[in-house]
Amino acid sequence: MRPNAARLRLAWRLLLRDWRAGELRILLSALIIAVTATTAISFFTDRLQRAMLSQSSELLGADLLLQSPRPLDEAWLRQADNEGLRHNEALEFPSVVVSGDNLQLAGIKAVSSGYPLRGGLRTAETPFGKEQDTAAIPAEGKAWVEARLLPLLGIGVGDTLDLGSLSLTVERVLTFEPGGGGNFFSLAPRVLINRADVPRAGILRPGSRVTYQYFFAGTEQALQRYKKWLKPLLEPSHRLLDVREGRPTVGAALDRAEQYLGLASLVAVLLAGVAIAMGARRYSERHFDVTAVMRCLGAGQRDILTLFLPQLLWLGLLGGLVGVGLGYLVQFGLFYLLKGLLPATLPAPGPMPVLIGFLTGMTVLAGFALPPVLRLREVPALRVLRRELTPMPLRGWLVYGAALVAMAFLMWRYTGSAALTLSVLGGAALALLLLALVAWGLLRVSRALHRGVGVAWRYGLNNLWRRPMLSVSQILAFGMTLMAMALIALVRGDLLSTWQTQLPKDAPNHFVVNVLPDKVDAFTAFMHSHGIKSAELYPMVRGRLADINGEAMSQRLQPGDDRVGAVRRELNLTWSETLPDDNTLVAGRWWQAGDEGQPLVSVETGVAERLKIGLGDELTFSFGTGEVTVKVASLRTVQWDSFRPNFFMIFPPGVLDPFPATYMTSFYLPVQQKGELARMVRQFPAVTVIDLDRIMEQVRRILAQVTLAVEYVLVFVLLAGFAVLYAALQASLDERLYEGAMLRTLGASRRQLRSGHLAEYALLGALSGLLAAGGAELIAYILYKQVFHLDYSIKWLLWALLPPIGALLIGAAGYWGTRRVVRQSPLVVLNGI
Amino acid sequence: MSNHLETFPIVSAEGVGKQVDTAAGNLTILEGISFDIHAGESVAVVGVSGSGKSTLLGLLAGLDLPTSGSIRLAGECLNDLDEDGRARLRGEQVGFVFQSFQLLPSLTALENVMLPLELAGVDSAERKGALLLERVGLETRLGHYPKQLSGGEQQRVAIARAFAMSPAVLFADEPTGNLDALTGSRVNELLFELNEEQGATLILVTHDEKLAGRCSRRIRLDGGRVVADEA
Repeated sequence: MRPNAARLRLAWRLLLRDWRAGELRILLSALIIAVTATTAISFFTDRLQRAMLSQSSELLGADLLLQSPRPLDEAWLRQADNEGLRHNEALEFPSVVVSGDNLQLAGIKAVSSGYPLRGGLRTAETPFGKEQDTAAIPAEGKAWVEARLLPLLGIGVGDTLDLGSLSLTVERVLTFEPGGGGNFFSLAPRVLINRADVPRAGILRPGSRVTYQYFFAGTEQALQRYKKWLKPLLEPSHRLLDVREGRPTVGAALDRAEQYLGLASLVAVLLAGVAIAMGARRYSERHFDVTAVMRCLGAGQRDILTLFLPQLLWLGLLGGLVGVGLGYLVQFGLFYLLKGLLPATLPAPGPMPVLIGFLTGMTVLAGFALPPVLRLREVPALRVLRRELTPMPLRGWLVYGAALVAMAFLMWRYTGSAALTLSVLGGAALALLLLALVAWGLLRVSRALHRGVGVAWRYGLNNLWRRPMLSVSQILAFGMTLMAMALIALVRGDLLSTWQTQLPKDAPNHFVVNVLPDKVDAFTAFMHSHGIKSAELYPMVRGRLADINGEAMSQRLQPGDDRVGAVRRELNLTWSETLPDDNTLVAGRWWQAGDEGQPLVSVETGVAERLKIGLGDELTFSFGTGEVTVKVASLRTVQWDSFRPNFFMIFPPGVLDPFPATYMTSFYLPVQQKGELARMVRQFPAVTVIDLDRIMEQVRRILAQVTLAVEYVLVFVLLAGFAVLYAALQASLDERLYEGAMLRTLGASRRQLRSGHLAEYALLGALSGLLAAGGAELIAYILYKQVFHLDYSIKWLLWALLPPIGALLIGAAGYWGTRRVVRQSPLVVLNGI
Repeated sequence: MSNHLETFPIVSAEGVGKQVDTAAGNLTILEGISFDIHAGESVAVVGVSGSGKSTLLGLLAGLDLPTSGSIRLAGECLNDLDEDGRARLRGEQVGFVFQSFQLLPSLTALENVMLPLELAGVDSAERKGALLLERVGLETRLGHYPKQLSGGEQQRVAIARAFAMSPAVLFADEPTGNLDALTGSRVNELLFELNEEQGATLILVTHDEKLAGRCSRRIRLDGGRVVADEA
């Protein structure tokens, strides 16, 4: 006796038979949709994250980078040794380099052998020559410099430049430097030298602005342990850079895209789950008779389970296999759509997404298909004599509970946070409930159509109202999918252009920074003579906020606090006699006569809120060469999107005089005048010009690609929606067949039946489109008004397009799905019942 | 085993009653039914529609439990067994033939006959199933699905399935109720032949007096009570 092997064989055979009879089509296709969507997204995010991680390590030159204004305690490095981490040290400081009569401020980086720990330096023999990787560093007495330094100093490769009392030969052109310092405002050309040359140059003195960079690399575990050990010891002036933080600018956009893609795939999984639940219910009901016979023939409850559960398992494996295969193919589409935003070479797909795909498939089956199938266990044997006997209906909590647990599990796997999962689930449930109410309302209102239509249409519309729960859930499924697609199209097309048309025609499209004080007059004259209207030139001094009311920032903020970033970095400080045009005072008073040189400051409200700064508070700012303590005299709001220079902190004139300042401004330059930029840079080589048009173009391109990718995944949501429609059709098919046969027996024509079905599904689609238009309009309104502060106009196109699109799509699908009802002869149908 | 059973009743009902709750109140379907059936007997339960025949059959076969009284089947008291225990007993001792055949539409004729054997984990299910179908004259129809068979053929498959596990008791519920007279009498022929060959006890429910006449004993029901028990 090998009952188990025999049962499994039997289960397999039953599955094959059911498959041939088309009983499993809906279950399997919904399952495949769920697994495909999940696997594709998993492949995508997995490969992307690994690519980003390795690329970030290269950008950082290490797995972990600690920046400090002072040399580190030796004990910190010994601890790194103990953890088995490799480490290396570099110095960074600004300094003037000289050649003949030319001098130029440069960013100097002094490195020692072994730098960088990750990635590599890239250099060229000549400016803009062929780039080469190198494992070497500059030898003593040599310098590798950025190409743009050479014309500024009027030298070439092989010439010398002076750094302090040291003369260095320019050996190579530096094209890429991991851990490259410098941010937006310190875009001085880079010079790489050997660490051993620093003392000989004699330029570093106590108080010099030096950043000590410590690079660490090692195993993930060792790094984690070291970080854990290190974090409590860090001071606010320390900056710990993890590979995860060192992402390129598009990282944020890709992060978002990953989130949206993940959410879209979850919605697809949920919808597929609904289709699976409906399919499983029908499957279970159609197996009541079979089960009753088996019970009659001696099958116990366990036997029934051992017959039907393996079928689910087989189905899960099959759906998983096909879904994972399709998901693997689909991810290539995603990478194609996001081409250009992504690293050129990506790591090969790993095994994790395959596992995740299978796990999702099984979870969805367990959550949505298991409860109805378990019901088979309860089929009474007596049903063979009395067909009306059915097992007890499932308890609601079992059905919804299982589905909820399955969804919560999948979402938790995706978000990794129980709290977030709960709040998202709760929010989604609430939103669904509200939308369901709206859908139900629409359905009710549509009953007014009842009057004045023919019998066929009345029959079709009645079908819709007769099963209100089913109709509402279908309107929801399609309405939400259409809404998401409409919103994305709106964001891609309408939002950006609305924003641009609402900007003033001559809104600045360029920023200029690093205008040296002695060039301000010449620069202003240049702008004037070339007819370029610019905003005022604002002085800019860089300093740190050191303490508030005598309490050091290190005391006030815990390391790791979100707010640390804003104040740990150097702030751009300015002074101004008048309140800038686009600033509005909300508390305190602006400078009056006699305030010049007084220790006062005006603070932007956002930063004031984050740091809990109020009027009258005393702020101490520290600069490389000294400190200033000032009292908060006013709070002001700033219109950041005015594209004029804007500042968190504005001082009265005179206060910042002791500290070195450069000037910045912004201006509007029409495209045909872009040639002026070259003349400007030639005349003022130290300035840095930032072209907003190019940044906007980049933003637009990123947005277009990201939204396209999200839409691509939304296709799966739409497919899952159709799976729900198909499952619903199947669920009511027997009843429809019977009714159709009866109606035809009573003299209804095929055309009448067809119009009835068409009416039913077209109305379902139109209502979905209406819900989608309303939802998209509302969300768009909130986006425009609250998030982007743009004027809003009603999107009539949504209302004009979505209902007909819905009616067309759903009408066609429903018409196709019910064709059997019309085709089959009434006799065959009535005999089969 | 069979000697032992001959001395003891293989089916015995003692004061069996069945009541169901309906919207209109409590409805008595069977009341005070008592009899013994010995191994090898062929018994017809007869009566008009609604007299409770099918309910009694369901109770005797352990498909349902009486609300009063007790039933013993093959030496075991059904009241003491849970649903799975009764299923096991059915699998081991009982065969069924139904009016509506109750073949599994998704299985072939052969697979339908193999089903009880496979459920019991019998190794040679396929060979045994084929032999049985040959015995009922369907050796050329092994791979056909119920849909592809006539009513009479379907009932013959059902009979083959009923005898697959060599049951001690065969229950038949209006076995020819869905067949024309000629086909019906052929199926009956087969049923009695096989029953004799296998030495099973036959309990059938019918309102066909001719069929009842072929049985060694007739229990007549009216209004849920036994009104006659004649040999």
